[in-house]
Amino acid sequence: MGDRVHPANHDEVLRFLSEGKLSTADALRLLRQTRTAGVAAKEKAAPPPVNPEALRQTLAQLNLLVGLNEVKGLVREVLAFVEIQNRRRQEGLNTEPTVLHMIFKGNPGTGKTTVARILGKILHEMALLPKGHLVEVERADLVGEYIGHTALKTREQVRKALGGILFIDEAYSLARGGEKDFGKEAIDTLVKAMEDHKDQFILILAGYRLEMEYFLQTNPGLRSRFPIHIEFIDYTLDELLQIAELFIAERQYKLSPGAKAKLLRILQTRISRSEANFGNARLVRNILEKAIRQQAVRLVNVSRPTREELMLITAQDLEGRGTQ
Amino acid sequence: MKRCIIIGKPNAGKTLFALSFAAYLGANPLHLMFRHPQNNTTSWKTFHREEAIQELTSSKPHHTRNLQQLVVPLPARKGAKRIQLIDTSGLVEGIPEQKDIRRAMAQTLAAVRDAHLILHIIDASRVKAAGAVEALGEVDYQVAQFGQLRDGYLILANKIDLPEAKEGLDIITREFAGHQIVPISALYQQGFKVVKQFVQRRI
Repeated sequence: MGDRVHPANHDEVLRFLSEGKLSTADALRLLRQTRTAGVAAKEKAAPPPVNPEALRQTLAQLNLLVGLNEVKGLVREVLAFVEIQNRRRQEGLNTEPTVLHMIFKGNPGTGKTTVARILGKILHEMALLPKGHLVEVERADLVGEYIGHTALKTREQVRKALGGILFIDEAYSLARGGEKDFGKEAIDTLVKAMEDHKDQFILILAGYRLEMEYFLQTNPGLRSRFPIHIEFIDYTLDELLQIAELFIAERQYKLSPGAKAKLLRILQTRISRSEANFGNARLVRNILEKAIRQQAVRLVNVSRPTREELMLITAQDLEGRGTQ
Repeated sequence: MKRCIIIGKPNAGKTLFALSFAAYLGANPLHLMFRHPQNNTTSWKTFHREEAIQELTSSKPHHTRNLQQLVVPLPARKGAKRIQLIDTSGLVEGIPEQKDIRRAMAQTLAAVRDAHLILHIIDASRVKAAGAVEALGEVDYQVAQFGQLRDGYLILANKIDLPEAKEGLDIITREFAGHQIVPISALYQQGFKVVKQFVQRRI
């Protein structure tokens, strides 16, 4: 009986009951299963429903990234929080405002931009960001040359980022140069934009860990506005090799055992020579891109290379001529 | 103030329990507020316990057709607290033909939805009475499922003073395994101590 009517909320259940369209038992069951009153109207105004398939794919993309376990955990935490707050809102319960501005701390090449880009997509698919695009800027894009210029430039970048993520790389550089520097003005403009365009964009400040911490210490007002801090730890040698293999496999190449060994040696020396800020997926990528070009040079004079040869990167392709 | 609602089938003894329990907790005279489902109005009346029982209860089903609320004191660890005791009209299986009863049903369920504590009264003496309005039915099972979502949900197996109720209590215990069940007699105030403790612990 109760299956033929589909009340949208509690008030409708009760109305159907008094109109004789529902039995008492069905009404009780529906009270348990449907949402509280007034929600139906609010829900209609809510953003379009999320696309679970696209979301699943984007999450898979995130999980495919090598390492970054802490980051993935935190992203899951944020997503769970957002999801539960949404459901609480639908049930008419008090909700915490979802402030998702973030600080990314870590060395270059540890995945900050990549994660930010994927995060934008995920939040878009969860209907939290209308567009979910990433606007990547640095100091020079924000700070102007004369008084008033900075606010103008910064506002322009914020405008571009509305509906998505504004990602400021090496954000600590906004604080250098002391009181008279226009960087200060950029920060003030950003803080104001965060108030004016609440929920319309997400601001991510990224940079080296120590510099970012110093930056937040000298701007105590900022810290409280960024509830989410994610630390990107340097990749281990193992993870770097995994990244290399993934990179190579994606492009349908293969590393010969000799090439693998050589790559390992190269990375080891780089780490031991370190370069405090090694740990760098970008370096791996650069080495491999160079190797792919090198392989092409090697094969271009071979009259009929086999399929296998076209795929194989050998030791001699790595790091130019004969560093064997 | 927490709202404690008393629900159950017609003639399960809800009104008698409400009045008797209120008196047991020390409310006398009883100030009752009646909420009429027909025109959404309220009225007040003050009774002595005996009068109230005389006027508001009956041995026939469907005597209560509106919500009857009364505020009763409840001694708590620190000073006295108060709860709102809400007596309701009996829940009928299926779709009642009379419009008044349907409206009363809707009013009862609206109050159930907003209640903190649910006291679910089942007539233990008539559990198996085939075709009788008091008999156990789908509504009772749905109430039990609904009750789990509240702060407190207690089944009161009423009329335990009657000899037939023994078997009925066994059936209730079996059918509602996992729920807290207290055998009571609204007429003789049996089992009220346990009910009082249950309510006290949840306010």
